[in-house]
Amino acid sequence: MTPEARIVPCYRVDMRMGWICAFLAAASAAPGSAQRIKVSSHTLSNGMKILVHEDHDVPNVAMYLFYKIGSRNERPGTTGLSHYFEHMMFNGARKFGPKQFDIQMEKNGGRNNAYTTPDVTVYTDWFPRTALELMFDMEADRIRDLNFDPKIVESERGVVYSERRSSVDNNPFGLLFEQLNASAFVAHPYQWPVVGWASDIEAWTMDDLRAHFKMGYAPNNCVMVVTGDVTHDEILVLARKYIEPIPRQDPPPPIRTKEPEQIGERRVTLVRPAQLPILMVAYHTPQSTDPDTPALTVLSNLMTNGRSSRLYKRLVDDGQQAVSVQMPDDFSFDPGLMTLIIQVRAGVNPAEVEKAAYEEFGRMAKEGPNPDELQKVRNQFSADFYRGLKTIAGKANTIGRYEVFLGDWNRLNSAVAEIEKVSADDVKRVASKYLTAKNRTVATLIPQSKESAQ
Amino acid sequence: MRIAAGALIVLSAFAADTVRLPEYQRQVFGNGVVLVLAPKSDVPMMTARLFIRGGEESDPAGMAGLSAVTAELLRSGTQKRSAEQISKELDAMGAVFNATVNRQATVLTADFLSKDSDRMIDMLADLFVRPSFPEAEVRKVLARRIDQVKSVKDNPGAAVGVYFEPFYFGAKHPYGQPADDVSLSRITRQAIVDYHKKMYAGKNLAVVVSGDFDTKAMSGKLGILRFLGGGEAYAWKEAPVPAYESSRLLLVDKPDATQTYFMIAQPGASRTSPDRVPLLLVNTLFGGRFTSMLNDELRVNSGLTYGARSEIQRDRLPGANFISTYTKTETTERAIDLALDVLKRLREKGISADQLASAKAYVKGGFPTQYLETDGQVSFVLGDLEIFGLNRGEIDDLFAAIDAVTVERANQAIQKYYADPNLQFCLVGDASKIQESVKKYAPKMKVASIREPGFGVPEF
Repeated sequence: MTPEARIVPCYRVDMRMGWICAFLAAASAAPGSAQRIKVSSHTLSNGMKILVHEDHDVPNVAMYLFYKIGSRNERPGTTGLSHYFEHMMFNGARKFGPKQFDIQMEKNGGRNNAYTTPDVTVYTDWFPRTALELMFDMEADRIRDLNFDPKIVESERGVVYSERRSSVDNNPFGLLFEQLNASAFVAHPYQWPVVGWASDIEAWTMDDLRAHFKMGYAPNNCVMVVTGDVTHDEILVLARKYIEPIPRQDPPPPIRTKEPEQIGERRVTLVRPAQLPILMVAYHTPQSTDPDTPALTVLSNLMTNGRSSRLYKRLVDDGQQAVSVQMPDDFSFDPGLMTLIIQVRAGVNPAEVEKAAYEEFGRMAKEGPNPDELQKVRNQFSADFYRGLKTIAGKANTIGRYEVFLGDWNRLNSAVAEIEKVSADDVKRVASKYLTAKNRTVATLIPQSKESAQ
Repeated sequence: MRIAAGALIVLSAFAADTVRLPEYQRQVFGNGVVLVLAPKSDVPMMTARLFIRGGEESDPAGMAGLSAVTAELLRSGTQKRSAEQISKELDAMGAVFNATVNRQATVLTADFLSKDSDRMIDMLADLFVRPSFPEAEVRKVLARRIDQVKSVKDNPGAAVGVYFEPFYFGAKHPYGQPADDVSLSRITRQAIVDYHKKMYAGKNLAVVVSGDFDTKAMSGKLGILRFLGGGEAYAWKEAPVPAYESSRLLLVDKPDATQTYFMIAQPGASRTSPDRVPLLLVNTLFGGRFTSMLNDELRVNSGLTYGARSEIQRDRLPGANFISTYTKTETTERAIDLALDVLKRLREKGISADQLASAKAYVKGGFPTQYLETDGQVSFVLGDLEIFGLNRGEIDDLFAAIDAVTVERANQAIQKYYADPNLQFCLVGDASKIQESVKKYAPKMKVASIREPGFGVPEF
């Protein structure tokens, strides 16, 4: 086994099956640039947007359905419902009963997964083109006529609880990340975990489920992306036949609560049985449509992307104080967090690591990046763009994310240009503006006494 | 419902019923180096992979992790470049370089833009031929790796797989010695230098390049490979598949665990076993996909777990055939009983023609996007063929081989591989709560503490 392949930041995402974390990270690394991606777009009369990208390299299709509903649309008492619902969407509708979605899909050569974030619930289908019509039939069936069998509701509750135990309760990174979010937000729904609090998993009811389905699962609240061995025309014919008759509904109500500006540092410390300490530092940052987003992306890449990055060099290589450093940045509808995640070396005091990280942030805010570094980050970003386009699945995810979060899939064709425009002064400015003491939440996991954790 | 689905199944008769590897050029130089060039031009990128035969099985006794540490240290300095220069150069190209080790090979992978191919070839040649293994870097990498290996114990789902190796294969078997803090602390700079000198030689090397490039020009540039020293070909180790006279159970105690993670194993097959295609189909049905028997019973029907699966290891030597899942501490016994029931059902009832047809469609339907879509996938598949001494027929004839598997053939494989009465159980969980209830599964049971250094297991 190879230890370095192990840690992929996937804390904000909860998925139906646990094996596509690495893929998601790669596909979302992404976009912009010289190679233009062509997409045809059509909006059905019921409001569902259909985006098609043709790629005939392999005789397969990726179909992604982005529903604009996630844990931010929940309330205390029903946290985790969006993610739970993601599971329920596979448990039977009117035409295709319990288990049939998976049975039909697999016997026709396809496979699927799904993931939920604070903002969206995404269904990901991969199949040979021969299964295209079946997939439209099954997706339409479950959007229109999902069935709620009380027995399945109970057994799926157990599945989700087991997922929570694995990703949070028995996982120090997951546990600390949950505490970090719960401390960083005092008002906005981003404070609760996507998988839900344990007491809510135990308590949600059939009525909660029905209300959630009615709130989020309407064609006008969904973007469908189809990539691969298809034509725009055949997709439109199928979409009109299967999806267009489904009536539109009211979309989820807007999120009223805005997170108030943070007015002082917050800290949370866990003492747990563990081999190594963990340090997380989160800063409030604006929503993805904000003009500062590209500069923040450059900033996080300068700090942690690659072994020549500032924090890898300082903490992992020279200082030998950390095993790994990461600063994933992701799209969000509402103002979110940019989080530094460090696995601290055994026997090292996390406070030293924290101090060193702040010194590096301070240096970036004061001096900015040098020209070579800035060029390096641009090159890394554009190479990642091509990597995100190597598979039809990566393309479907990327097209959908740009459409849903930035309002236009075509923004992916200017993403590299937007990164190129970021200057050293921009980086200095956003580092000074966001990486401040009063804007941060610090979470630390300390291994329990020496006897219980060597 | 049945009508619509039935009509679609008829349609699938027209699906691509074969796959082919892209055309590639394979040459063998006088020094033993194999070079495979497989152009594939959908994006302006390339993947180069260097496969060095040996891998984990070539780690000397007591020094597990030597092959991996050697590979990791290639980028820590050469006679021409410092560690820092290497990292800067790779990041400046936007390239991704990684060095991993599996049971039979070290795999160095570079994923880069085609326009940088000259720079990357120069870099890879330097890393392969002239690493200097500076003493300070050796100490750093070893210390970091020891911490990484320790941190696996914070993730019980991963830890159970590591404990499983010495437990199932035994410490003398080439697959029974995972790298741990104990073995890594024995590694010296000299051992690394010696390993590199002996193993990174022409006769052990296969270079596979896939992506957007001109074959003729690339073949010319990589002609430099002929100047590499041939050295001595690695002598593969031999070891029989472990056989036990009774069931055994290892319980690794993690007192804070709220779930039990477990594996149940019996002898499997090698990567090149003549049974590999029937086994691929049987494993798909047993625990290799969402609707598999195991996942259906333990997850979908009973809600005991987030996932239950099975695997037949595909390595050079015959490995394990195992079930793997987890459940909350309180339902440990119920989940193990249920997993054993599913295994019994497979053994007693076998599989039906409908199930077999579904498995065939599933394996074939996913194959193009799993193995042939990207330069990274194609170069991996081609390297796999080199390491295991297979040829392109392995892929090009795969669908025909799948079609040829009959229900009888599949059921014979089940009788051969899923009928061992002496199952081997490896568990990580809260021993104080489950120790009594799991005794019944094996006449021999041992409890180990996750707090002990390393991943060694007690003698049975």
